[in-house]
Amino acid sequence: MTTDNPFRVGLETERIPDACVFVIFGASGDLTRRKLVPALYNLAASRLLPPGMSIVGFALTETTEEQFRQSMRDAVGQFSRRKPIDEAVWGDFVSRLHYVSGRFEEPASYTRLREKLEFLDKTNGTRGNRIYYLAIPPSVFRTVNDNLAAAGMVAEEGGRYARVVIEKPFGRDLASAEALNTDLHKVLQEKQIFRIDHYLGKETVQNIVALRFGNAIFEPLWNRNHIDHVQITAAEDIGVEGRGKFYEEAGASRDIVQNHLLQLLMVTAMEPPVAFTADEVRDEKVKVLRALKPIRGDDVKRLTVRGQYGPGNFAGQPVPGYRQEPNVSERSTVETFVAMRLEMDNWRFAGVPIYVRAGKRLAKRCTEISVHFKNVPHALLTQGAPGPGADGSRIEPDVLAIRIQPDEGITLRFAAKVPGPSMVLRPVTMDFRYGSAFGGSGPEAYERLILDALLGDPTLFARADEVTAAWRLMTPILQEWEREHLADLPIYPAGTWGPPAAFELIERDGRAWRRL
Amino acid sequence: MRLSLDKVELEIARLWEEEARRSRATRVELMTLVALVSESHLLDRARDVVQRVARAYPLRTVLASWTDSDRPAITAEVALHRPSPEGAACGDAISVEATGSAREWLPENAERLALPDLPMCVWWVGDLPDYDRLFDRMARAADLVVVNSEEMDLRDLEKLSTVSARVRHTCAFSDLAWIRLRTMQELVARFFDDAAGRECVRSLERVTIEFSPRGGEKDVASTQAGLLFGWMANALSMRAEGVQWKRGPTWGEATLGKVVARFVHHPRTDVPPGSILRVSIECDGARFDIERQDDPRVLRWSRETPGAPVSPQTIGVDIAEEAGLLVRCLERPRRDFLFENSLHLGSRIVRPIAPRLSSLPRPL
Repeated sequence: MTTDNPFRVGLETERIPDACVFVIFGASGDLTRRKLVPALYNLAASRLLPPGMSIVGFALTETTEEQFRQSMRDAVGQFSRRKPIDEAVWGDFVSRLHYVSGRFEEPASYTRLREKLEFLDKTNGTRGNRIYYLAIPPSVFRTVNDNLAAAGMVAEEGGRYARVVIEKPFGRDLASAEALNTDLHKVLQEKQIFRIDHYLGKETVQNIVALRFGNAIFEPLWNRNHIDHVQITAAEDIGVEGRGKFYEEAGASRDIVQNHLLQLLMVTAMEPPVAFTADEVRDEKVKVLRALKPIRGDDVKRLTVRGQYGPGNFAGQPVPGYRQEPNVSERSTVETFVAMRLEMDNWRFAGVPIYVRAGKRLAKRCTEISVHFKNVPHALLTQGAPGPGADGSRIEPDVLAIRIQPDEGITLRFAAKVPGPSMVLRPVTMDFRYGSAFGGSGPEAYERLILDALLGDPTLFARADEVTAAWRLMTPILQEWEREHLADLPIYPAGTWGPPAAFELIERDGRAWRRL
Repeated sequence: MRLSLDKVELEIARLWEEEARRSRATRVELMTLVALVSESHLLDRARDVVQRVARAYPLRTVLASWTDSDRPAITAEVALHRPSPEGAACGDAISVEATGSAREWLPENAERLALPDLPMCVWWVGDLPDYDRLFDRMARAADLVVVNSEEMDLRDLEKLSTVSARVRHTCAFSDLAWIRLRTMQELVARFFDDAAGRECVRSLERVTIEFSPRGGEKDVASTQAGLLFGWMANALSMRAEGVQWKRGPTWGEATLGKVVARFVHHPRTDVPPGSILRVSIECDGARFDIERQDDPRVLRWSRETPGAPVSPQTIGVDIAEEAGLLVRCLERPRRDFLFENSLHLGSRIVRPIAPRLSSLPRPL
């Protein structure tokens, strides 16, 4: 890390990463093409990559370095947020790209890789620093880590660092997550492991922290005395998009609820950390998970809903149901929709229900957290109070909605008097839109997270105890669902907001899902 | 249509109502930018810059100019900024013209037109006079005052340093030429990020800064070159006392203790006037170079430190236009102590080779 450089004092970038070799396992895969290399290119364009840093792709595919570079150029051209490719940036970036072909399970491949990395150390001054990005299926995490360790490639000695970035899923239940952590910890220290959840790299998610802890007006209201309930929705309007095989293994619970949705919940409900540093933030986040009431046995039926999309329409065009998607069983009982009613057992949120829902092929794409405040204690004024046009109903409570995607922003709904002689109230909204206020496109989540991994800052990465705590909540629910042996899940037509039970889940509490 | 100033807010409200029906644009404004156009021939350029700024940063702009007249008055024209003729509105565009002695009324009227409870930035367009009462009064009202020393002579660094000291208790002060230097500063800083680089810092012997002079410029350093070396000298806690200068027709060389700083003219037409073309640093057997290539948007960064190889890099950089520099200023409307200190030291280092101010400005 950069320290004691007198020329850094007062500059915008007060620290840049130390030079390293960034090794991508699974370099011929989709993630590398769509996200990783475009993100690295954008970091280079922002001049945030250190001099000498090299990027080495490692995969089974036999290809030359030139072919690999050309393929990455195509990927950057197609998927980078900066278009067209800036030749001045690319000219330098391409010289950083290297390729080694090898097999994950073959020790000799790691010898070749190590030789390449050592050569780059000598020529580029990377001094043995390594980031290993495992863009590979979880089934080979252990193989790769063990082989890296056996080849002496993850030891941190003489001031050099070695970090391993892994992608979700971090297990498929509590037992497998604990086993994965145990495997990882056999060869790596926790500080070397960076578990990436790209939701945490989103500017809007980080802005929840800014909103709550950078303003004095919200936090005093952020508790059971003022909040009636919270809703968190992660809705996608697309189907499984060719990922049928993956989805058959994962389902909505493992694909989005156990990780992304719970991350949103943690950031929304956590206590203020004593500092915005990795362990302080993650300590507070994990406390949220520990405070969630477990859902077990009969409660699973009462407090959770699952469903699967059937044929329907998307934007006025017919679309197939889940079971008609490629690589999906005709009798699949995998859930594409989940809704849950959660509660926390802690001082701040006791008695405040948190309704979460996530699904595919819903009516629209929208990820949002909405905080619904309690109604005024005394109905002095009503919505449409006495007077012309009055309906005598109570005023709709205030809502603070944080839109994660698309059209990121924050909306506050409150009541205002309709101009005229009578005291008639109506809900109005104050809108803040990132696009309007800040313009342009900010860095993508992967750019932020890769930069943090380079800097060795794990604040926005999941810690081992966070992952196991999330599985501790989800596993009994998944087990109960398995025990039910449902021949059929509730089917909802594609393009709707999920099965009727999802509405009943919230309506029996006298509440309703917010219209998105 | 020219309006009296009391009609401006009504007219803006009317335009936004029309806009709401037309495009449903959300009205978001984060700041008021007052551009004071000191010379009439700069008016079109200033108008173009504020329009570009408004496209990138939602704000209200007040473009203020003045003409001679016997009849003192201020009138305004009002419109909405748009990213394109068909695009949704993205800010208020107010043009204010003062005639005759009404120029003196601009500060209070700029405040009247400023958005409530939001920062106000004043951009002085053009060369800064040695002393201007209007500038000082605007500085009192503003949160941030911006100038552009690219349009100034080397001697003006001392003037800017004096202005910076004068306004520091009332507002933040910035210079677009300083903002342009950020890339170069970042690239210099990365020479010394690792231990091998940092070991060289204390044995720095020679700095060469090559720059492209403004047309007809006779000074042996540009304001940007002076600011850049002021920044380096400040970072290394160097002192200006006892600086010795040698100069030739296209170069100047300052000796500060054991460090020699050489400034060299190298005219190029494809970069903004005063731009830095090359920075070389030599320390005890090590050499650090940043050199602008034939393509002015490409810099070559290289470092030769014994026993610690780093491969050279070519780095693509933006040559920011005035609007881009101004947006970067507006994003952080707060005091920049690094700038103030670098300006102060840089101005003192170049003072022996730049004409002195004829008289000290009056206090604020």
